[in-house]
Amino acid sequence: MTDALHLSGLTKAFGDKRAVDNLDLTVRSGELYALLGPNGAGKTTTLRMVAGLLAPTSGAISVFGVDAVKDPAAAKQIIAWAPDEPMLYDRLSPMEYLEFVAGLWGVDGKTARKRAEELLKWLDLWDERAQRCEGFSRGMKQKTALAGALIHDPKLLMLDEPLTGLDAAMARQVKDVLQERVRQGGTVILTTHILEVAERMADRIGIIQHGRLLAEGSLEDLRAQGGGGSATLEDLFLRLTGQAAIA
Amino acid sequence: MLLREMQRQKGRTAQIIALAVLACGLVAAGVGLGFLIREVGYEVTPLVVVAVDLAALLIFTIMVSSTLARAAQVLYLRDDLDLLLSSPLPPGRILAVRFAGIAFSVTLFWLVLAGGLLAPIAVIAAPALLAVLLVLLALGLVASAVGLLLTTLLFRLIGPRRTRTLAQVLSALIGASIFLSTQLPNILRGHGGDYSRWGWLRPYFTGEAHLDLPPHADLLARAAVGQPVPLLLVLAVSLGFFMLVTQLLGRQFARDAASAVGSDPARKASRRTAGAFAAGAFAATLCKELRLLMRDIALFSQVLLRVLYMLPLAFVFVRNAGAGDSMLLPAAAAAMSVMAGQLSSSFSWITVSAEDAPDLLVASPASMAVITRAKLWAALIPTAALVAIPLLAVGVFAPLIALVSAVGCFASAWACGVVNIWHQRPGRRSDFRRRGNVNWLVALAILGISGLIGGATFLAASGMTWAIVPAVLAAVLTLAMRRSDQQILRTLRDEA
Repeated sequence: MTDALHLSGLTKAFGDKRAVDNLDLTVRSGELYALLGPNGAGKTTTLRMVAGLLAPTSGAISVFGVDAVKDPAAAKQIIAWAPDEPMLYDRLSPMEYLEFVAGLWGVDGKTARKRAEELLKWLDLWDERAQRCEGFSRGMKQKTALAGALIHDPKLLMLDEPLTGLDAAMARQVKDVLQERVRQGGTVILTTHILEVAERMADRIGIIQHGRLLAEGSLEDLRAQGGGGSATLEDLFLRLTGQAAIA
Repeated sequence: MLLREMQRQKGRTAQIIALAVLACGLVAAGVGLGFLIREVGYEVTPLVVVAVDLAALLIFTIMVSSTLARAAQVLYLRDDLDLLLSSPLPPGRILAVRFAGIAFSVTLFWLVLAGGLLAPIAVIAAPALLAVLLVLLALGLVASAVGLLLTTLLFRLIGPRRTRTLAQVLSALIGASIFLSTQLPNILRGHGGDYSRWGWLRPYFTGEAHLDLPPHADLLARAAVGQPVPLLLVLAVSLGFFMLVTQLLGRQFARDAASAVGSDPARKASRRTAGAFAAGAFAATLCKELRLLMRDIALFSQVLLRVLYMLPLAFVFVRNAGAGDSMLLPAAAAAMSVMAGQLSSSFSWITVSAEDAPDLLVASPASMAVITRAKLWAALIPTAALVAIPLLAVGVFAPLIALVSAVGCFASAWACGVVNIWHQRPGRRSDFRRRGNVNWLVALAILGISGLIGGATFLAASGMTWAIVPAVLAAVLTLAMRRSDQQILRTLRDEA
């Protein structure tokens, strides 16, 4: 099976500082992959390069076999990117926002309309479909942005801290949506600081620091790499990133 | 960093220079008036009373509109009110101070303006006229109190969001109506009778006509010249009224401010909830930009102001079209094309530079060229809608000139729009008034291009083939401002 995402020697330098340093990473099709790392580890920069928002300094990005550096439009067509701050327009309603996003991804009007209705109902936003986003809570904004990310039925969904600032009910709803997405055969990559989420939801976990991959695999794999035992992901994370002493 | 600071400083320097020029002008006028008053003296005649009352009414109206905007802002944008109201200080005292701050801020401009004029007059001829400053202060207190009463009433009736909207629109309308009233003599001139600017006043100066004033109409004028009893009365009434309103509204305002937090400013439904989706990046972007433009209240009030300011021009345009005036009609056509360029420049700044979600556009597979084209058209459509009415009216009388004007308007709007696209820098919609991120060279180029196209329109509407010269110069200047997609992207990345 083709890998959903394959990064090879990916590097991004800002002046002398390397935010991402020769990163090799593979995400398999149909899995939920959690990318963990301390602040400034290079998680967001990596995902922004995959989304086409940043040009890599060197290295290769392949999305379902499409070279995202040489043919970014083809790669973007099958990717969705949802940053931690929802990319919304305050004066548009969720329905209008979805219309706009669907147009950007070239989804035909009839299909987009049907899909928008499904998504808004699925995410409990149907009653608010005609209200402007400016007064929405953070959770509602996150859900609207998530609906926008799903409107073109992407093969690869990338989310940066999707659960930040959400209450328990909203967070549960978003987690359900992501798991359902994976059950339907989609691929999801998410970054999170909530290690329990990664521990419970992710098929595989990658831990990066200073732009390099420190460890990767299922929780069992990471335990094995971290010296075995029944350590929690938090213990492993702190041990691997050398923050145990600080904690 | 240094360059940015210098750019910021340039704006401040320009403001300081403008203020210095204004101050010099006021002082010079004050010196002239001072010597005049020393020679001829002054007295409170019925004509002076009318002049003072009208001036007071004008200033009072502007002060009320300023208070409306500021009070609505305090309620809606919160500022530090939450922190203050959560402190152990009594809300009444906090709000009294806040209200006094509003009163002071709406009065300050007039005090400075009048102070510059009155200081030399007081030194040279009549120190008693410094009482004008106290009258202005009294006006500020009453206007602020009325503005606060209106804001609270509007808040009760239509909610905080609409109050803010209405306050902004009212401010624009009041400002524009004052401007239009000053243009009335120009508009009416040439339609029989003596409608020259001050001609109608002549009979009152010569004593041919007599003014019957209602009782106490001279109170403000007498206070302004420093008569103690009227002055004390005006001050006492205004201060009493302000304190009464502050006391009455203090608690009410605190409750309203608290409810504004949970009032959910955006629980406003968009009208369109059904129907087919726009297909394709161009149509979707165009739809989105037009919706955002139509829903931008700050932009709406700004454009409303410009349109209202255009009314006298449009009136002259249509009147001359009907009269077949050979010189004024091409001049008005030129002015219209310059205005079209300026409007398009404003709209394109909003659609291009003030994009709320630039990452969304970059992350999409849609071509940037398509998105940018849609944004340009989104700027051109409202511009066309605004200039269409006077153009159509002229078309009835002088179809050829209307056609030339339309071409000029389109060329000017398009050229100014593309220059904004080529020199886009990320900005915020709320920065629309200042557009501080616009390079002065770009602003100058836009002015030059619209001016040259205006010149070409004038010559073409006059039937002169020389129109080709400014048209070519405008094209050259536009092309000189052109930048490649790579250059635009580099600038956007640097700014980010």
